[in-house]
Amino acid sequence: MATELPSNGAATTNGNAESNYTVKTGLARMLKGGVIMDVVNAEQARIAEEAGACAVMALERVPADIRAQGGVARMSDPKMIKEIMATVTIPVMAKARIGHFVECQILQAIGVDYIDESEVLTPADHAHHVEKHDFTVPFVCGCRNLGEALRRISEGAAMIRTKGEAGTGDVIEAVRHMRTVNAEIAKASAMSDAELRIMAKEIGAPFELLKETAKLGRLPVVNFAAGGVATPADAALMMQLGCDGVFVGSGIFKSGDAAKRAKAIVQAVTHYKDPKVLAAISEDLGEAMVGLNVSMMDAKDKMQGRGW
Amino acid sequence: MSPSVDVTVGVLALQGAFNEHVQLLRQAAQILASRDNAVKRRWAFAEIRTAAELAACDALIIPGGESTTMSLVAERSGVLEPLRDFVKVLRKPTWGTCAGLILLAESANRTKNGGQELIGGLDVRVNRNHFGRQTESFQANLDLPFLRNPGGKGFDTKADPFRAIFIRAPIVEKVLPVVGGRQEREVVIDGTVVAPSKPVDTAVVKDFHLGDVEVMGVLHGRAAALDEAAKQRLDAEAEDIIAVRQANVFGTSFHPELTGDPRIHVWWLEQVIREVDQRRQAN
Repeated sequence: MATELPSNGAATTNGNAESNYTVKTGLARMLKGGVIMDVVNAEQARIAEEAGACAVMALERVPADIRAQGGVARMSDPKMIKEIMATVTIPVMAKARIGHFVECQILQAIGVDYIDESEVLTPADHAHHVEKHDFTVPFVCGCRNLGEALRRISEGAAMIRTKGEAGTGDVIEAVRHMRTVNAEIAKASAMSDAELRIMAKEIGAPFELLKETAKLGRLPVVNFAAGGVATPADAALMMQLGCDGVFVGSGIFKSGDAAKRAKAIVQAVTHYKDPKVLAAISEDLGEAMVGLNVSMMDAKDKMQGRGW
Repeated sequence: MSPSVDVTVGVLALQGAFNEHVQLLRQAAQILASRDNAVKRRWAFAEIRTAAELAACDALIIPGGESTTMSLVAERSGVLEPLRDFVKVLRKPTWGTCAGLILLAESANRTKNGGQELIGGLDVRVNRNHFGRQTESFQANLDLPFLRNPGGKGFDTKADPFRAIFIRAPIVEKVLPVVGGRQEREVVIDGTVVAPSKPVDTAVVKDFHLGDVEVMGVLHGRAAALDEAAKQRLDAEAEDIIAVRQANVFGTSFHPELTGDPRIHVWWLEQVIREVDQRRQAN
């Protein structure tokens, strides 16, 4: 299989030979084949854990509410994150604003297991992302294309996700971003070193990382789907496109029967290649989140353009 | 004596780092095949998601991942009881890493609210997330004496240590008395869950002897991130048990699947070969 992520740490030290990068990417590997769910309180975190989530993302408002309510979206109250950490035994992630390294320091201090430097929150820096290598806590970052993914990895991200369009329940953007990354990697895989140098310049990615990616035929870290996944079929679609796992944000707790839908999406990510299982678990899930049609949205309302 | 045989080794693929194990099994099989005295084996390494797929396996690896997720998905996918049958009734060779070790323990603590299902097979109590959260995850050099015997050169972990990766790792907190059934004395301990009893099928597994839990590896001098109450529960030992074996079941609290070092996989496949050959001769 061309899309295996090599188990040998050597390929993925990302310029940090004896750093904790192997340990950081290692947790992402443990999350593979799983579903990470957005939760806003301890009660939702328990529902997610009972549904079989492999981790939860603690945040004050799910993206659909951030979108509806507007205003500046920031890191969540540490008290609320700590309550969730005390309630569940699975890993707990939390979001920091793009470039806001002090929010990251705070999240590391309270002991979250992963930080999502996320476009769902309002960016704090017009040009810089957080330098992530220096932290002991690992980071996940969003991408729309290969260049963006490799820039984030180069800054120290130990896990990547598609940006999609959060809070819409419309999977089209997550599909677009995954297909874009796949197509660019396929193109790079057929290139000579000389051609890769040009491509690296064009997509704004470090040459060495691009070369490694081209050789592997996939991103050199774990890559999840995110941004618009609302049904078991959406989750399985992203898995069949080559994602290693799935984030579900507003899709669960903005639906009619959150616990049932959450369980179904967990089953869908395990059995993503089996349409019979997918058919059975898709039955009678109640109302899906209403959703927003991304094609009807103004560019200024989209979150995916945040980050550079 | 043994002609070319087919051996199917499954890796439970409900969630977690299953593909990494498949890669290392392939490497390990190549190393075994390259040895001078090698009997030619045709291996199949398969991802296991259903009871039917499990039924075709001669041996199984339960990978790292989230043990709560794996046990819930196993239950809902109808593979939890078949897994218990595989490990405890049919007594086929099974190896669990990290989350896999938790699932293969007869007793576990610090589980999620409401507990979790265990497969069982090892008379031990594991302590989940023993070292703490992700920021306490680490790498350490291990000396694993059991690798020394069969491997030939390069397998002496005194000279060439095994670089082990511990991620939110459990440890074996206590080796329990061998009871050959449910660990009744563990049930009464607050916050501990136990695995159900499943007697071995002696028509399939002839002359089965459960035996003691062997400590296969320890980690020295690592301060555990435990609260005081948990510390008092612990036996006064300065080292943590991170690898154990009992009969057909082997467990490690670290992740050999993340290292690119296939030595433990080579050793384990040798155990699998021995067991498979014995069973085929006996039947």
